[in-house]
Amino acid sequence: MTTEGLVAGYEDGLPIVRGVDFALGPEELVAVLGPNGAGKSTFVKAIAGLVPIHGGRVMVGSTDATFVPPHEKIRHGLAFVPQTENVFATLSIADNLRLAADILPKAERARQVDRVFNMFPDLADRSGRRAGALSGGQRQMLAIARALIVGPTVLILDEPSAGLSPKVVGEVFARLDDIKRSGVAIVLVEQNIKAALAVADRAVVLVDGQMRHEGTPDDLAHDPRIAELYLGVRRNRVAIPA
Amino acid sequence: MNPQGLVDGLIAGATIGLGAVGITLTYSILRFSNFAHGELISWGAYFALAVAGLLGAAFGFLTTPILPFSFGWTLPIAAIAAIALNAALALVVDTLLFSRLRARNSTVIIMVMASFGAALTLRNLLEFTFTGKPQYYTGALQIAIRLGGGIRATPDQLLSLVIALLVVSGVHLLLTRTAMGRAMRAVSENPQLADLAGVNVRQVIRIVWVLGAGLAAVAGVMAGLLIQIRPEMGLDLLLPLFAAAILGGIGSVPGAMLAGLIIGISEALAVAAVGAQWRAAVSFVILVAVLLVRPQGLFGRPE
Repeated sequence: MTTEGLVAGYEDGLPIVRGVDFALGPEELVAVLGPNGAGKSTFVKAIAGLVPIHGGRVMVGSTDATFVPPHEKIRHGLAFVPQTENVFATLSIADNLRLAADILPKAERARQVDRVFNMFPDLADRSGRRAGALSGGQRQMLAIARALIVGPTVLILDEPSAGLSPKVVGEVFARLDDIKRSGVAIVLVEQNIKAALAVADRAVVLVDGQMRHEGTPDDLAHDPRIAELYLGVRRNRVAIPA
Repeated sequence: MNPQGLVDGLIAGATIGLGAVGITLTYSILRFSNFAHGELISWGAYFALAVAGLLGAAFGFLTTPILPFSFGWTLPIAAIAAIALNAALALVVDTLLFSRLRARNSTVIIMVMASFGAALTLRNLLEFTFTGKPQYYTGALQIAIRLGGGIRATPDQLLSLVIALLVVSGVHLLLTRTAMGRAMRAVSENPQLADLAGVNVRQVIRIVWVLGAGLAAVAGVMAGLLIQIRPEMGLDLLLPLFAAAILGGIGSVPGAMLAGLIIGISEALAVAAVGAQWRAAVSFVILVAVLLVRPQGLFGRPE
């Protein structure tokens, strides 16, 4: 997936994302970092079709998906998991997954639900339970599971660690590596820099709606400009993945 | 309580319940109180009257009553046509009015006021087209049959009750057992997330209009068959419809039907206890009581 000169914002003439060029390779996990208000969430919401795009384009493979409506994006292989309210609380866990599977051919649906239940056995054990009764971490797992039902090529996660304890963040992020290895490229928007850089192959830094820095987690973690100016943390506090 | 009053209340409540199911569906998906829903009931009744009249004029033999009922084949055929015509009318109103307001992200109060405007327009159009004179599907008189225990009901009344229960069961199954029902429940809870999950929200909204208007047409034909057909028939039902939708819990189809029956029985009780002039007050009292004591209704979940 790529974006070319992407300009997006809620109102025409007031862009929040200003000309972002971004590329995501197959089976790559790219973290999108930046200070509060940098436009990270707006950037990924624009890709998902939730924020109006005023310029540039979004390509998924060879398809121009710039103005494809959100419900069609998933058919182009692009799945988006919002930061909050990312499961249907009144539906059962199984119905959350079945809903996502309903866009598949009938013969495929049950098989895909079973496949995802196998990936997330904790959810399978509670399949009849209302999603609203799940803990924060379980909800995040369900939201990711729902996004994976149709076998997307790109999975975009908007701050999946928000509101979760460090232990649960570790459990959720541990799944990202498995998902990536199953052939899904991941865009991870995160405020939790330490956790994001620990799992990312590459990271980009947005500031004021523009991409200012790009590199490996190691490069960024050792770049004093990033650590001190944009991320607001001291260099020696950023954990470097082994 | 007089058992006859209970049966009369159940029969009246069946019409209220059907209308309330339409109200609860449109409210939970479109997220505003559609005060034009009563007019869809009236239009459904008149569509059936017009089609039945045309069929009767073209094929006179179809007007022969299907015993033991008071009507011939013209009415069932016309009722099916009325469902389709009413659905088309609802889609036209949505396209001309509500979809434009949705596109502008209009507030709930704007949508509600627009529905008042739509109601006025639809009611006056109806009066202009069909006049305000009460009309009937059939001039045949029906003798009530004894059901035991001192209870009597006409075959038309019993048929209406059975049809209402069958239709509501069908809608409940649609919502709980089908992919479309799942999509409707998802849109009702979180339209944006449903969109991201691959649900075509616009299509779901169209289906809700079709379903709500179809149910309104059935309710209109039932009310027209059991009472009479007037341009204000839907307006008169509006308060009981909203009371039933809220008592049942917004979004709950069985709740709306059960609440419709409760309101029908309560009205019949009130008529027997304090006189017919207090019938309309019953829905109002129930509506206020539910909002004060249990705003989520019988089957709704607290916000």
